[in-house]
Amino acid sequence: MANLLEELEAQITGAKRTAGWQNVGVIREIGDGVAKIDGLTDAMLNEMIDLGHGITGLALNLEETEVGVIILGDYTKLEEGGEAHTTGKLLQVPVGKGLLGRVVNTLGEPIDGKGPIKSDVAYPVEKLAPGIIRRQSVNQPVQTGIMPIDAMIPIGRGQRELIIGDRSTGKTTICIDTIISQARLNRAAAAAGDKDYRPLYCIYVAIGQKQSTVARVISVLEEAGAMPYTIIVASPASDSATNQYLAPFAGAAMSEWFMDNGMDALIVYDDLSKHAVAYRQVSLVLKRPSGREAFPGDVFYLHSRLLERAARVGEKYGNGSVTALPIIETQAGDVSAYIPTNVISITDGQIYLESDLFYQGVRPAISVGLSVSRVGSAAQLKAMKQVAGQLKGDLAQFRELAAFAQFGSDLDAKTQAQIDRGKRIMEVFKQPQYDPIPVEVQVAVLWAVQNGYVDQTPVERVKEYQTKLMDFLSMRKGQLLAGIGKEKTLSDALKAELKAAIEEFAQMWQGAPAR
Amino acid sequence: MSTKKAQQQAKQLFRLCVVNDLLDQNRARQVVQHVSHAGYRACPAILGHFLRLVKLDCARHTANIESATPLPADLLVAIQGGMARRYGPGLTTAVALSPSLIGGVRIQVGSDVYDGSVRAGLAALERTF
Repeated sequence: MANLLEELEAQITGAKRTAGWQNVGVIREIGDGVAKIDGLTDAMLNEMIDLGHGITGLALNLEETEVGVIILGDYTKLEEGGEAHTTGKLLQVPVGKGLLGRVVNTLGEPIDGKGPIKSDVAYPVEKLAPGIIRRQSVNQPVQTGIMPIDAMIPIGRGQRELIIGDRSTGKTTICIDTIISQARLNRAAAAAGDKDYRPLYCIYVAIGQKQSTVARVISVLEEAGAMPYTIIVASPASDSATNQYLAPFAGAAMSEWFMDNGMDALIVYDDLSKHAVAYRQVSLVLKRPSGREAFPGDVFYLHSRLLERAARVGEKYGNGSVTALPIIETQAGDVSAYIPTNVISITDGQIYLESDLFYQGVRPAISVGLSVSRVGSAAQLKAMKQVAGQLKGDLAQFRELAAFAQFGSDLDAKTQAQIDRGKRIMEVFKQPQYDPIPVEVQVAVLWAVQNGYVDQTPVERVKEYQTKLMDFLSMRKGQLLAGIGKEKTLSDALKAELKAAIEEFAQMWQGAPAR
Repeated sequence: MSTKKAQQQAKQLFRLCVVNDLLDQNRARQVVQHVSHAGYRACPAILGHFLRLVKLDCARHTANIESATPLPADLLVAIQGGMARRYGPGLTTAVALSPSLIGGVRIQVGSDVYDGSVRAGLAALERTF
């Protein structure tokens, strides 16, 4: 005991405390989640400001005599005249594999009740996108498991592909299907011990969505076993505009960690229309000048700097990638509105979903004419290119001819054949939600369609034919499918094997009674 | 007149009152007298902003020295000298007693706070737990 006392006394005697320096300000005004603070002369842009009561703000407006701060958290405890001080830190969120399987808020705090997140690394929310030197072209595919996309609008790792359409046209479903497909591929590769396969981790950012929608997405992903490969960043409609504005940047920081560590990530921003609205609100309460549709002048830069963070980096820099799937909701199919045109021009292509197609039963309701992937074909599997090369043209011709054929009944044989083929392709492209199809199966089915094996089947039975063919191939011709997956191209030997398999199935199919 | 315009005009008036980076108090008084007698509709808004700028300037040029107990004269002179060296001439000092500091000194010049008080030390210790 005496020793301890002597030790403590010596420490206290020798202790020297220097005065700590702080840059402080006084809260002058609070409202709508924004505080105006006098002073804070040393505040940096995007610096975290300690507002007391454990509440943090983010410095967004640096003016001559005051700082405009957006408040992250409950601002009702703050009072005019309260003291605020700079922290010297930019806004950061935890990153790493510890977040996989978790649901977090904008600040990376868990909201799923599964306890604290194991992560000792944090990334700044706002970060410069990788430069030109670090980047390389897209050359690896993202297998969405959705046949029309993988066949006609292929997406590569590192690409930014916009998903655009009216409300309730299946935009979120496409992204969820893609996440489920990645989980299945990741799991299959892990089970097979495939060391060449690069798992794709997914981040789903819900911005301004209904809580019930987010809960449904989580339950679908849990049921499909996709959560272990997925992070959900939720900033639902009940969150403040500030949190909704920051959520996609937080998600981008989490995805960048995978890229920086040589892994691949896919990020879904659901949706950027609501993000733009949240940013408009923040900007208006910060009294920034408004422009078209009352959006601030830098709304283009907001989305371009966010989407520029999606990239594929070169092998020298780790060979990682971030693929972005931003979603935009249009009003009455108007793609020429302000935010849709902005995001269309930023991204490397778009998947346009049409309400009319959706209600005609064509689901996913992808408009082939308006959808495009500008860089994805470089990453498309060669086998898929071989079978799907003509598809887009065939379908475009079919649409034109089908519209023309409505006015007359006499058609020549060639036109009729084109229409019949188109109808069958349309049937094959219909796909139930949350049921992605492996790419090898897609290749086999499309090969059968392209080589006329479906032509004799009535249109109303094409889906049945396809389902049974897929079951037949999966159960009996596993080796053939594995061969397609391994070789990634349809060699003559594989084509012969595929032909034999489909003819074998055709015999069974002809004998099968119509349902 | 919009708030923005009132702010701009207040800033212009304030600049007229600054001589060699220091606020000329006589000019400031003259400005307030002149504007308040002019009777413009925007006078209250302009003067409100002007007053705010003057307050901020005063805070930038005043070192508020707080201590728990009265400071010895030599220490006070040393502190004033140090502050004048750092912030330049024209810095005035205001000394106040603040027992809530428990011990030590707290100095504030504008947004800069140098806190060597026991209260700040305890608060920092609390944050570490």
